Amino acid sequence: METIIQGVFNGALMGCTYALIALGLSLIFGVMNVVNFAHGDFVMLSMYFTFWAGSIWGVDAALTPLITFPLLFSFGIIVYYGLINRTLREHYTIQIAVTVGLMTFLRAITQLVWHAQPRALPYSFIQGNIHLGGYVIALSRLTSATISLIIIAGISFFLSKTWPGRTIRATSDDLDAASLMGVDFQKTYALAFGLGSSLTAIAGSLLMTFQQVDPTMGLRFGLLSWCILALAGLGSIPGLLISGLIVGVGESLAMTFWDPRARSLVIYLIFILVLWLRPRGIFGRK
Amino acid sequence: MKHKKDRIIEKFLLLLLLIFALIIPLIIGSNQYNVLLVTTVLLYGVMATSWNIIGGLAGQLDLASFAYLGLGAFTSGTLFIRYNFSPWIGMVIGGLVAVGFALLIGIPLFRFRIREVWYALTTCALVEILKVVFTMWEEVGGPVERYLPYYRGSLYHMRFGSYIPYYYLILGLLLIVLLVNYRITKTKLGYYLKALGEDEIAAEALGVNTRVCKLRALVYYSFLIGVAGGIYANMYGYVHPSFFNGQESIKVAILGIVGGRGIAYGPLLAALLLVGIQEFLRASIGGEVSGLYLVIYSVILILVVLFRPKGIATIFQGIYQKLIRREVKKEDV
Amino acid sequence: MSNEQILKTSKLTKSFGNLIAVNHVNLEIYKEEVVGLIGPNGAGKTTFFNLITGLEIPDEGQVVFKGTDITAIPPHKICQLGMSRTFQVARSFTEMSVEEVIRVGAYNRKKEKEVQEKVDWVIKFFELEDIRNYKCSDLGLASLRKVEVARATATEPDLLLLDEVGAGLTSTELFRLMSEIKRLNQETKITICVVEHVMQMVMGLCERIFVLDAGELIAKGVPSEISNNQRVIEAYLGRRGYSESSSAS
Repeated sequence: METIIQGVFNGALMGCTYALIALGLSLIFGVMNVVNFAHGDFVMLSMYFTFWAGSIWGVDAALTPLITFPLLFSFGIIVYYGLINRTLREHYTIQIAVTVGLMTFLRAITQLVWHAQPRALPYSFIQGNIHLGGYVIALSRLTSATISLIIIAGISFFLSKTWPGRTIRATSDDLDAASLMGVDFQKTYALAFGLGSSLTAIAGSLLMTFQQVDPTMGLRFGLLSWCILALAGLGSIPGLLISGLIVGVGESLAMTFWDPRARSLVIYLIFILVLWLRPRGIFGRK
Repeated sequence: MKHKKDRIIEKFLLLLLLIFALIIPLIIGSNQYNVLLVTTVLLYGVMATSWNIIGGLAGQLDLASFAYLGLGAFTSGTLFIRYNFSPWIGMVIGGLVAVGFALLIGIPLFRFRIREVWYALTTCALVEILKVVFTMWEEVGGPVERYLPYYRGSLYHMRFGSYIPYYYLILGLLLIVLLVNYRITKTKLGYYLKALGEDEIAAEALGVNTRVCKLRALVYYSFLIGVAGGIYANMYGYVHPSFFNGQESIKVAILGIVGGRGIAYGPLLAALLLVGIQEFLRASIGGEVSGLYLVIYSVILILVVLFRPKGIATIFQGIYQKLIRREVKKEDV
Repeated sequence: MSNEQILKTSKLTKSFGNLIAVNHVNLEIYKEEVVGLIGPNGAGKTTFFNLITGLEIPDEGQVVFKGTDITAIPPHKICQLGMSRTFQVARSFTEMSVEEVIRVGAYNRKKEKEVQEKVDWVIKFFELEDIRNYKCSDLGLASLRKVEVARATATEPDLLLLDEVGAGLTSTELFRLMSEIKRLNQETKITICVVEHVMQMVMGLCERIFVLDAGELIAKGVPSEISNNQRVIEAYLGRRGYSESSSAS
């Protein structure tokens, strides 16, 4: 029983960060219907930046989002204008081909710069454990989950209460109507892509406080966030959060009770079942 | 309407290519590593050309090619290891197992009308699922390579002391796959697939049973790659769950897209060029700076997609038409 | 026109949320006639087509085609039974050539060996010889519309449904398309049902006309009856009371 609760707890904490990654993806896919296969690799890239900042300049992983957030935001804008924008009118497979090219590129770059072996940061000031009854909670995971929740709430506020946020929502609802209202869709797309990418920066830094990184983990993060998106459906941030929790807990329980290797198996099985049974997602609007 | 002269020139060019393909091992045969490289390039040609049936014609972005390759390899390999089954029979059974699995997945997928991105992601997840399953399934897979029994130069066991026979095997398979592709495009199925690949609703209104057509495309595709899997296992001499490679499956689909959607020889062209470049770069600079060859490769890939969104094949079509059509016009006048 | 019914709908109903797009529509089409289905925008004409061709499933009611109940049968089977259609927003196979597109239609009835013959016949009938090798993406709107009619004809239907084939065409193009449709009906005896809001086209082409308004069948009859029908005029021009209240608000 205790291991179950421990597992659920660990998974839930992880799930908050997963939800953050998926939120970035949902911004991009929801607004411009572009499938970014490189999204998971953006996470991987942010993790490496965090590793760099930590190992070269001694910046703590918990603080690196201050650097990586603007960095990935700009990177997202560059990718949008350099690649995505040029393929918007093409068949969707062409868009995918270009993001796959980007994915391969990012993976190769990280391999080139940081080599293939896994990297981890030796310390972070949010390390240590909290003992609560009989349970152990890693401070780093707790902090990551809290920050993720705050950011998700912040994005939710941004989308509903500010002008640029509203243009993003309006564009995702109805591009033509939004254009008629004077929304410049190019700028909105770029903003959504930049913001979506920069969310991976925060997630990457947070993950780095308790996890190691290697160049091949991008695809897993990518599929994982698609899984959460499929569960949640488009347009519901609370749904995204709950789906993140489901995926995190499912993964954690699979690792504890079945086999550590089965962690992604559970996620993919959830993904396929959801697609077959609830194509609009569990929380998605119609 | 194609003119007689066109056809003759086309046939001549094809013959030239075939002769070239046949004598390559004689030129580079002294270096086994080079033969392996060329064979690998051809294998990607086989996979991308098979992919063309489901991806190019039927327009379904399938990312599971290495799932079928792995299933074919494991079926043929396991039958060989356990029961001393000849891989010649094993590879056909492997193809059938791949078909069985494809139907198991394809029937509900098409039943629930899962399309575009979601189809792509499901099939992508399938490869990863199989990889985990085969890693955990100790009786057949497991984390350690399972080597095929060693026979030096046994035709029955498809074990040769050199890579050259595998080269010819893959080349033969490539010709079969091209022929199948060509045949399909000339028949009802091909026209139906092309139509539904562009617009499913309009195709259905013309009497096309889209579900059955897509399943048939899936069957051809998975069978051909499953058979290739049997040769693959024998060529490398072992089976391992890493055969289920999501990344490489995506690559096969990309070759199909970059080659030119629905153009039968497009994917092959893309495989020869892109995988050729990649393997060449890997061989020449891969040892010194790991990752650099992939950086160059991915930049080339992105540039090709941006500047030739209709496919590499269109470059050659352009050149070809300039060479041939000019004469045709004169004839017409 | 014979007295044998080819299509009959009874109490056909479909709603989307609170909007009733098609409301208890009963109509019948007889063999070899050309009928028109007209009505203002949003009257439910396209939904009606979607219901009888299996693209959408009715909430209520029945569709009988050549004596068979075809309610909720998938579109491809309905086409195989002999009902074919075009789409309001041209759904073209952009990367295929005109000939290939027609071939797709022709395979509905013809075996591999006879298909080319059928394709040639359709191309000749619709005078598409000059553009037979053109890609659909290179065609103008008028040719696209014609190709859509041609590919639907190639399936050898008994009943051909044309959904606003005239939309966006100039009056000359419209006139030529009309005469081709008329000729098709005369030479092949195919029953044709056209959805239009270009009145001129319907009046000149159709033997009988059905009028839909807000999902309901409000009138049916020969063109002269329809053009003098008070309810039809109201539906098109708006009732006086309605237009006043809408301008006031």
